[in-house]
Amino acid sequence: MKKSIPWIIKYRPKRVEDVVNQEKAKELLIPWIKKWLSGNPPEKKGALLWGPPGVGKTSLVEAICNEYNLEKIELNASDFRRKKDIERIALVAATKRPLPPKKGRIVLLDEVDGLSPRGDEGAISAILELLEKARNPIIMTANDPWGQHLRPIRERVLMVEFKRIPKTKALPYLMKICESEGIYCEKQALAYIWEKNKGDLRACINDMQAIAEAYGKITLDLAKALVVERDRTLTPWEMLQHLFYAKYFWQAKKAVTSTDLDYDTLFLWIAENVPKQYGDDPEDLWRAMEALSRADVYYGRIKRRMNWSLLPYYFEMLGPGVALAKEKYHKRARWSYPEKITLLAKTKEQRRIREELATLLSLTQHVSKSYAKAEIIPLLKFIAQHNPQYFARLALGLRLTDEMIKFLAGKEYRTVIRIKEKLLKEMEEEAKIRAAREAKEYLERKALEVVEEEKVEKWEEKKEEKAEKVEKREKKERKREERRGGLTLLDFLNKKK
Amino acid sequence: MSSAYEMLWAEKYRPKTLDEIVDQEEIVARLKKFVEEKNVPHMLFAGPPGTGKTTAALALAHDLYGENYRQYLLELNASDERGIDVIRTKVKEFARSRTPPNVPFKIVLLDEADNMTADAQQALRRLMELYSATTRFILIANFPSKIIEPIQSRCAYFRFKPLPKDKVVERLMYICKNEGVQCEKEALEEIYELSEGDMRKAINILQAAAALGKVTVDAVYKAIGYAHPAEIREVITKALNGNFMEASKHLRKLMLEYGLSGVDVIKSIHKEIMSNNLKIDDRLRVLIADYAGEVQFRMTEGADDEIQLQAFLAKLALLGPRFKSA
Ligand SMILES: Nc1ncnc2c1ncn2[C@@H]1O[C@H](COP(=O)(O)OP(=O)(O)OP(=O)(O)O)[C@@H](O)[C@H]1O
Ligand SMILES: Nc1ncnc2c1ncn2[C@@H]1O[C@H](COP(=O)(O)OP(=O)(O)OP(=O)(O)O)[C@@H](O)[C@H]1O
Ligand SMILES: [Mg+2]
Ligand SMILES: [Mg+2]
Repeated sequence: MKKSIPWIIKYRPKRVEDVVNQEKAKELLIPWIKKWLSGNPPEKKGALLWGPPGVGKTSLVEAICNEYNLEKIELNASDFRRKKDIERIALVAATKRPLPPKKGRIVLLDEVDGLSPRGDEGAISAILELLEKARNPIIMTANDPWGQHLRPIRERVLMVEFKRIPKTKALPYLMKICESEGIYCEKQALAYIWEKNKGDLRACINDMQAIAEAYGKITLDLAKALVVERDRTLTPWEMLQHLFYAKYFWQAKKAVTSTDLDYDTLFLWIAENVPKQYGDDPEDLWRAMEALSRADVYYGRIKRRMNWSLLPYYFEMLGPGVALAKEKYHKRARWSYPEKITLLAKTKEQRRIREELATLLSLTQHVSKSYAKAEIIPLLKFIAQHNPQYFARLALGLRLTDEMIKFLAGKEYRTVIRIKEKLLKEMEEEAKIRAAREAKEYLERKALEVVEEEKVEKWEEKKEEKAEKVEKREKKERKREERRGGLTLLDFLNKKK
Repeated sequence: MSSAYEMLWAEKYRPKTLDEIVDQEEIVARLKKFVEEKNVPHMLFAGPPGTGKTTAALALAHDLYGENYRQYLLELNASDERGIDVIRTKVKEFARSRTPPNVPFKIVLLDEADNMTADAQQALRRLMELYSATTRFILIANFPSKIIEPIQSRCAYFRFKPLPKDKVVERLMYICKNEGVQCEKEALEEIYELSEGDMRKAINILQAAAALGKVTVDAVYKAIGYAHPAEIREVITKALNGNFMEASKHLRKLMLEYGLSGVDVIKSIHKEIMSNNLKIDDRLRVLIADYAGEVQFRMTEGADDEIQLQAFLAKLALLGPRFKSA
């Protein structure tokens, strides 16, 4: 069977009227958009479209962009974490004029519920800031908008609910797709598919395509045989079970697309458990790891270029690629929660310090940051471990902060800090002594000059007349007073600075 | 060792002027000529690490502009500031800034230019032409073949050689004397052998050894432990023995503890595999080299370096035992 583009992409609604059944949502959203376009922005700068998967949230936004000739600037859940991405978007959102012929812009933050409630506090506040400054409509989507961490967002935006697509609306729509594909299709089959997918139009269309591509027609029997209930999200453990014991392509793909894990976490769950499950057979293991490697490449491209149309390939490598890597049966291994997540949380501080250290070293030692990490940091660690005394002086010379010292010196940390403080104190003392000595010398020199001056004056005075003599002496006296009495050690030091 | 402040010796003993540079005589002579004439072409400095490329560029600027040469020199580390956009804006800004009093141009130093993408290099080519009246570029590369031809053709080419044994040993000796550190000549010779004409590496090892006390051959051997090739070798060996789990655990530790990037690791692995330390079948070497290259490529495209390296280890775990039994 030839490869074709996914129907959900081919039949993605082009115009607002193509989006089925979401009249209520349109009634709220369209006037809101029109306000923006009229140059009279609404009070709420953002809208949050929420509802079950596959009912037209993203589609409606795209249709609006299309119909009103707006430029769509999109950011996905996995990008939100990167502050600079948000800042970049904020910048674009703040500048008013889009490139012609576009008449305006929409910022789409898709799947905000994919933000992790623990890890990404920064993201939420960045979004709030974005909402504050926005001069273009900010539209967000979520399946579940009721998470505690989304509350500040909920309070500031227009909430727009999307409903499941009822049978009466879904069936004619699905039938139309079959017609334009020229595929024989039984109405009961569509009803069955709809039933199983509970009004998720995307899932319906995907199931139809899966059957049609394999068998060239869609009958009730085929639907009953192939469509499995997509009724609930899987826990990570269930996902692994379904994945590792999947017999067919679609089963495996379904397993990895039926969790509510964000993409990074999902990947880790699988990547860390593949070696456990397949570890007893190097060939199966290798094939599965290769599939993961490919999946990661797609994921990198998706993230880097925001090319979300590659997402299906990612899931296909991650799911079927891994599941069908096995040639023999493996009994269920002891799977576990991804260790890396805990490790990364634990080492976050450490990584930040290392990064700062590498930046500092790359600037002062004229090397790249990666060289600093690979060569110089280990060198410093070595010295800290074997000669804390010496390391303390290096720390001073390199202007390392205390946390950098702690990072490098590990258990020698206290020793190093103690020595460093001692050195600093010694230097301070030394500087004080030196300054005092210099000040003393200076004053002595000055005093000597004054004596000399007096001698000259006396000699001159003799030659002058008495009346003048008295007057002049008084003047000199005053001058001398100023010069001598006014000059304290403090003044001197201040002058030196 | 009088001051309380200590520096890293590689930097402390970086020659300030062209005259102080060890060896590389022809290059130094040509550069001095440029200084005399107060005219510098675009230049490409190529050669192995730690042979004086960056040093020569800084010293040239020093000799041209005097002590305050920093303000007339823009130093960009290409491997850190990847994007051409960064380079473009920085260069533009710099080109507009104050010109030096006696010299009609400023210098942009692009260190590790071979790490720039071909795209970035193409854009650089335009910059070099656009600003050539007021700005001269010095590009530094370990692998000059990674510099695209049109850039090579715009540059005077200087090839730095690995430093010869006697010069390195002499320099190390000089440093020891200056630092009041006791050393054995054999130890310094050993340092040379371990650093293969890379003066920075040599000085780093020397300083690590000196931190242990007297610089003896034993101290040197202990000191080279600061770098991690030994651990990389363990990872490879474990994988080749078919022990994927252990290998990948160790790998994770290396990456998290040392903060090595995936590319750092695969490069070290590659080096290790190509060295004679690892006794493996040459046919296996070929297969591994090919796959290491593939993995490095995938890392530039992918999202998670670690998974790419793990896939690599899985391959080793598959191939290693096969070649052992054959
Ligand atoms: N209301 C609808 N009208 C027409 N087509 C729809 C509708 N809902 C979904 N579809 C079809 O399903 C596909 C996916 O829909 P869409 O991307 O809009 O879902 P969503 O609501 O954003 O889901 P999720 O919450 O999972 O992101 C569309 O490309 C389209 O083919
Ligand atoms: N020719 C040399 N003469 C004296 N010292 C040198 C010479 N080459 C290198 N060094 C020493 O090694 C250190 C690093 O040298 P430099 O930064 O010039 O290396 P590089 O050739 O730029 O290496 P890389 O390719 O790793 O950037 C210098 O600070 C200096 O201490
Ligand atoms: Mg969506
Ligand atoms: Mg250099």
